[in-house]
Amino acid sequence: MPNCLFLCATLVHYAGPSYSNYTFHLFHSAAEPWPENAALYQPLKDDQILLSDHASSLAVQAYLRMCNLPVQVVCRANAEYMSPSGKVPFIHVGNQVVSELGPIVQFIKAKGHSLSDGLDEVQKAEMKAYMELVNNMLLTAELYIQWCDENTAKEITRPRFSSPYTWPLNHVLAYQKQWEVRRKMKAIGWAGKTLDQVYEDVSQCCQALSQRLGTQPYFFNKQPTELDALVFGHLFTILTTQLTSDELGEKVKNYSNLLSFCRRIEQNYFEDHDKDSITSSTSRLSKGSFLM
Amino acid sequence: MATPMELSCWGGDWGLPSIHTESLIVMAYAKFSGAELKIQTIDWTWKTLTGTVPALNLEDAVVTKPVHIVNYLRKQKYNVDYDLTAKQGADTLAYIALLEEKLHPALLHTFWVDAENYSNVTRPWFASRTPFPLNFYLPCRQASAALNRILLTKGEPPLHSITEVEAKIYSDAKECLNLLSHRLGTSQYFFGNKPTSLDAFVFGFLAPLHKAHLPSGQLQQHLKQLPSLANFCDNIISTYFVQNGLGLSPAGQDTVDANLQKLTQLVNKESNLIEKMDDNLRSSPQHRARRSTNSNASLVAEESSSSTPA
Repeated sequence: MPNCLFLCATLVHYAGPSYSNYTFHLFHSAAEPWPENAALYQPLKDDQILLSDHASSLAVQAYLRMCNLPVQVVCRANAEYMSPSGKVPFIHVGNQVVSELGPIVQFIKAKGHSLSDGLDEVQKAEMKAYMELVNNMLLTAELYIQWCDENTAKEITRPRFSSPYTWPLNHVLAYQKQWEVRRKMKAIGWAGKTLDQVYEDVSQCCQALSQRLGTQPYFFNKQPTELDALVFGHLFTILTTQLTSDELGEKVKNYSNLLSFCRRIEQNYFEDHDKDSITSSTSRLSKGSFLM
Repeated sequence: MATPMELSCWGGDWGLPSIHTESLIVMAYAKFSGAELKIQTIDWTWKTLTGTVPALNLEDAVVTKPVHIVNYLRKQKYNVDYDLTAKQGADTLAYIALLEEKLHPALLHTFWVDAENYSNVTRPWFASRTPFPLNFYLPCRQASAALNRILLTKGEPPLHSITEVEAKIYSDAKECLNLLSHRLGTSQYFFGNKPTSLDAFVFGFLAPLHKAHLPSGQLQQHLKQLPSLANFCDNIISTYFVQNGLGLSPAGQDTVDANLQKLTQLVNKESNLIEKMDDNLRSSPQHRARRSTNSNASLVAEESSSSTPA
C-alpha cells in the first residue's frame, strides 16, 4: 500500500504537491470536459462564513473565473462536513469532489486549463514561494485573529460559527473548533504572539506582496495566475470585512498598488457576470460596513 | 554593542558549528554580517530543558527565534540585506515561508520521527549532551513535539495515518528542494555574489541534512542529487566556518592527521610484530621438525627469497 502511494506521488510529482489518493482519481477523469453544473460549496454567506473561509472561497472563485470555467456557488450550513478534507471551499464537478485551492488548481490542470503554463522554472518557484507566504502569514494571521483573540472570538467568530445549530450543539462545536485552532497555533509557535505582533506580520506580508507587484497589473506581468487569485481572495476579504477593530484592513490599505490590484480583478472578473456576485452581498472597497 | 552579544545554542558535530537548524541560521547570519557573537552552548546544562534556543542574551533582554534575532542584528547595523532591491527583499520573505511550510516538516520527520534515524543518530546525540537525568526525558519530549507539529499542520483528514502524511510531506520537501535548486542555478549565493539572510536560512535548514550520517535518509539522497545545493552548503562551511577560530574544522583536520599518523604507526608496529612472530615460528622446534622433511627445498626457497628483495 505505501508502494502504490509512492508511485502516485512520483507520478504526480511534476504537477506539484497533492494528496496522492485524490490525484490518482483525478487522472482518470481528466478526459471529461468541464460540465455546466459544476458547483462550489461554502458555508452560509450572511450568517455563518468566517473571514478565513471566505478568503479561501473567494480565491477559488477568482481562479475559476480567470480560467473562464462556469461554476455555481452553493451555500450550505454543513459545507465543512461535506468537504473531503474538512476545509472549504470544495467543488463538485461531474462525480469528483475536490477541496482547497492547491488540489483544485491541479484538478483543473488535468482537465487542460492552466494559468501558469507560460512561466519558466524560476518563476514557478517564485509563484509557489509567494503562495506559501500568503498561506503561512496571511491565513495564519486570519485564523489567529478569529480564534485566539478573545474579543473577536467571543463577539464574532463563535456566534457566527455556531449559528446554524441549536443548543447545546452550538457551544460544543464552537469550543471544539476553537480548541483545535489554538492547538495548531501552539504547535507552530504562534500562541505566544500578541495581537500587535500578528498585525505587524500582516503588514510585512503586505509589504512583500506590494514590492513584488510593483506597478505591474498582475504578479507575473500580463496574465493572472493562481497567485493573483489567492492574493485577491485574502486581501479583498480583509478589506471588506468588519471585525472588532479596523486595524487589519488599515494595514492593507497602506499599500495603494494592492488596493488597485483588488479593484482591477474585481472589475475584470466579477462585475460583468451575474448580479449575484460577491459585490452585491459584500460592500464595495470604499465602504467596508459588512459585519462578519 | 560594545560588549559582545552572547548566543546560547546547541553544540556542533559532523563538521558544523551547531546541528540545530535555528541556531545554525543565526550563526550563519552573524558570520555573513560580521557580528561578533560569543557562542555559549547549552550542552551539559539544565538550560537544555528550560531554555529556548537559540537565544541572544543582551544586557536587558533576551531575543529568541531566528527571525527576531536577525531583525535585531539588522537594527544594530549588522545588515547583509542592505544591497537587496525591494523585490529581492520580498522574495526573501516568500522563500523563507516556502522553507517553513514545505521543507521543515520533512526535516523534522527525518530527524525525529523516522525510527531508524531517531534511535541511531538523533537520540544518542542529544542524550549524550544533556545532563543526567534529563537525557532520558529530553529527546522523547522533542520527538513528540515534532510528531505533534507534523500531524497538526499536515495531518488533516483524509490523511489520518502517519504513513500517508509521510508520503505527502516528503514529496512536498523534494519539490521544495528542486525549486530551491532551480532558483539557485549556478550562482554562488541566492542573490548574486554576497550572502544574504536567505542564504543563512537555507544553509540552516540544509546543512544538518547534508552532513548528518543518516541510516535511512531518502531526503538526504535527494539532496545529494542536487549538486548546486550541496556545493552551496560546502561553500559556506569552507568560507565562513573554517578560517575563524571556531576551531571545528581545523581541529577536525588535525585530529584526522593525528589519527592517520597513529594508524600508520600501528600498522608498522603490527608488521614488525608479524615479522618477529614469523622468525620465532621458523626457529621453533615444531616448525623445524616440519621443515626437516622438505628442508632442502625450503632452504633453497628461503635463500632465493632473501636474496631477491635485496
